[in-house]
Amino acid sequence: MKLSAHYNRVSMIITIVVLLCGAVIYYFAVNYIAREQLDRDLSEEIEEVIDYVNVNGKLPHQVDFDEDQTTFIKTKRKNLQTRFFDTVYNNPKEKNTEPGRATTGLISLKGEYYIVIITISKESTEYLIQIIVTITLTLMTGLLLILFLTNRYILSGLWRPFYTTLNELKDFSLSDNRTLQLKPNKVDEFRELNEAVNAMSSRVKNDYRHLKDFTDNASHEMLTPLSVITSKLDTLIQDETLKPEQFDQINDIYSATGKLSRLNHSLLLLVKIENNLLDDAELLSLDGLISQKIRQFNELLLAKDILVSEDLSEKEITASKYLIDILLNNIFSNAIRHNKQHGQIIVTLTANKLLFQNTGADKPLREETLFERFQKGQRSEGTGLGLTIVKNICSLYHWKIVYTFENSFHNFQIFFK
Amino acid sequence: MKLLVIEDEQGLCDNIANYFNEDGNICESCGNLSSAIDKLSNYDYDCVLLDIGLPDGEGFVVLDFLKAEMKNESVLVISAKNSLDDKLKGLNFGADDYLTKPFHLAELKARVFAVYRRKAFNTNNKLIFNEILIDLPGRTVEVNENPVILTRKEYDMLLYFIANKGKVISKNALAEHLWGDEMDMHDNFDFIYTHIKNLRKKLLDATENDYLKSVYGLGYKFGGK
Repeated sequence: MKLSAHYNRVSMIITIVVLLCGAVIYYFAVNYIAREQLDRDLSEEIEEVIDYVNVNGKLPHQVDFDEDQTTFIKTKRKNLQTRFFDTVYNNPKEKNTEPGRATTGLISLKGEYYIVIITISKESTEYLIQIIVTITLTLMTGLLLILFLTNRYILSGLWRPFYTTLNELKDFSLSDNRTLQLKPNKVDEFRELNEAVNAMSSRVKNDYRHLKDFTDNASHEMLTPLSVITSKLDTLIQDETLKPEQFDQINDIYSATGKLSRLNHSLLLLVKIENNLLDDAELLSLDGLISQKIRQFNELLLAKDILVSEDLSEKEITASKYLIDILLNNIFSNAIRHNKQHGQIIVTLTANKLLFQNTGADKPLREETLFERFQKGQRSEGTGLGLTIVKNICSLYHWKIVYTFENSFHNFQIFFK
Repeated sequence: MKLLVIEDEQGLCDNIANYFNEDGNICESCGNLSSAIDKLSNYDYDCVLLDIGLPDGEGFVVLDFLKAEMKNESVLVISAKNSLDDKLKGLNFGADDYLTKPFHLAELKARVFAVYRRKAFNTNNKLIFNEILIDLPGRTVEVNENPVILTRKEYDMLLYFIANKGKVISKNALAEHLWGDEMDMHDNFDFIYTHIKNLRKKLLDATENDYLKSVYGLGYKFGGK
């Protein structure tokens, strides 16, 4: 639920409650004032009747004046508290009953006592109250509607800079070099938000760049000592007095050094791909490159007696030759290295996808971690970066790579965009 | 052959100098730009091994200097940066070849020989090792005027071995040279053996000399005693 909707709901509830309370209080107040007014009128009527009786020495005729109905009832009571009460008023003209207000009083005439009851219609008062209530309700509805519309349109207008900033943040990526496009704003809160977001993003980008530079520098710095180790080993093996056991040791050091330098090159390559530093894209014939790669791997394929079948249709791509070479290298090396003796590799290239199928271990690889860094099979001698590099090259060109396992074939499919 | 190694890492510098010095080559070394320029302005060399990352500046300066002075040294650039930019820059600035760290000394020597031979191409395009005669532009091999038919890999291997004659060459170095380090064979070098075996047999049939010797499980050595 959006903030404006939250705000709308709360403000609506509060407005309705306050207005309803107000309306109730208002109703009672108006009612009270109107009754007081009626009662005052009735008191005056009583006064008038008493005056009349005192002046004329007789009861007035039981005529209705001013639509008031006056009734005299002879009584033996000597005193009677004047009181006001609600009653029914019979309108003789319209022949119906209406709510009315009455008062009773005691008058004395020639030693006899009479109760006088004066009833007046409350209809006009009720009518007034009705009008007031209607107007109030109309106003209330109008106010609610206006509040609702205001909240809806003006608030969303006010919040627009917030959503602009939010969308910019959603598109924010560490690896691209685009800076956030935040519009200047007159509202203090949004300006502060934008400033904070800007500061944060530049700090994060800075940190990220430092980290990448660090990887880059660290890998580079390691290359020189690695060269020293390699050259020392190359010199060491020239010594003819070495014993066979020592050669074994040296062989292991060679292996480790080779692995280390491959690891280093892979890390550097990853940094380069992630920074998009290899922008030497050109038009390449992928089918040609694949056939060439198969020839290049011929010795390795023969050594394991692997049967390669290819079904390549012509396909041109725009990419860096260097990266495509690495991509094919890594996929082919994996397909050969993890293959079994007398195994099989099938390469299929169509206009929209490239499919590598190879035999090997008879169970699927763990798909979720397959392309992660340093995830490798238990017996793999690789760096654990080969498929990560493949995946990064694919994402650089917006291709999708998918792994499946079917009929004891490991399938790597690359879908071109 | 007279060489100058410009490399600030002393350990590496010494090893290169040792490796090259053994068969009558003269190999000098220096560790920074100023002494390199100094040496180059006073002496002539056949080949310069140039590290790009030097303590007092980038090695490209040396290339500029050689160009400006119209000197004829072949230059092989060594760089810790495996970046295409550096490679292109180096080659554009007049370097003859480019090698990325870490490298095997055997590879370096083969490259230096290739560069050196290319420079001396006009006068001599034949490489002679004992009775083996190699026609470099034609990529053909003759022994006592009888042609020896070699595959491309065997031919490359032979050149590599001749450049590093008398040296033990590790299988890693040989595999890297023939298939490139991108191929990532992960220490399974069994397939090299077939090529070695074939080359050895062909040479043995033609020359009756067993030039190729296996050194334990480690590598091979070329050159008769």
